[in-house]
Amino acid sequence: MARDTKDNHWKEDFPIPELESTQVSRRDFAKFLCLVSGGLATGTGYVAIKANFFPPEKIVNEHFVCKKDELPIGGTKAFVISGSDIPYILIHLEDGQFRSYEQKCTHLSCAVFYLPGSGRIECPCHNGWFDALTGEALEGPPPRPLPRLDVVIKGMDVYVKAYEPSNKAVV
Amino acid sequence: MSTFREGQDQAHPNKTSTLILALILVLILNVSIQIWLLYTTLNNALAQHADIALPAFLASLALFLVGFFWLYYLPGGGKQRKIVKNVNFSDTYH
Repeated sequence: MARDTKDNHWKEDFPIPELESTQVSRRDFAKFLCLVSGGLATGTGYVAIKANFFPPEKIVNEHFVCKKDELPIGGTKAFVISGSDIPYILIHLEDGQFRSYEQKCTHLSCAVFYLPGSGRIECPCHNGWFDALTGEALEGPPPRPLPRLDVVIKGMDVYVKAYEPSNKAVV
Repeated sequence: MSTFREGQDQAHPNKTSTLILALILVLILNVSIQIWLLYTTLNNALAQHADIALPAFLASLALFLVGFFWLYYLPGGGKQRKIVKNVNFSDTYH
């Protein structure tokens, strides 16, 4: 009998029939969908506020990267701009032009690499490919082009600055 | 006078079942559109195109409000039909 008394205690503490605790009613499911809907609206609102009122800081001024002769044709140099922790790469293309992009794939932020001789930048994580000349996504899952910097050559020094689409400075 | 809720509560279970299924389908449709809106907003915001963000948020909010007030039409809201329990009359009459 003592056992019965003990067993009844938890039933008093948790007075929910077994059927109710194991099954989700359609009514509860509809409420859950509404909760998800609210979460999605909140998430979209967060993105909207962040995009409109807290845009990412733009790069100001020009930043020295390396000497021109330090980078052979088809070579790549990774660098970070002071005051920022975003990794960038500077590429010396086979036709002599320089290009600089963020080294983070626009899919899931894996590091991307230039494949010498191909004119393409590869993301090895999910086989994504970008055009090394423009940064456009060519193949695979990346949804957007690689964020890009303008390259400025001053004598033998290579500098980068914020990319402006109107800039037609081809180096 | 019969109200909307009383009429709904007295409806045949088949009719109630169809109604709740329709309501859930509309909610799923709303959520699907909201997922697409969030995906688009995020993609555009990351590509420095913030213009789409505010209209997408307003659309998502409107869909949420539609879904929220939609719950009013769920069968079984308000007063549930009371289940009359069996009474053991043998205890009543001694």
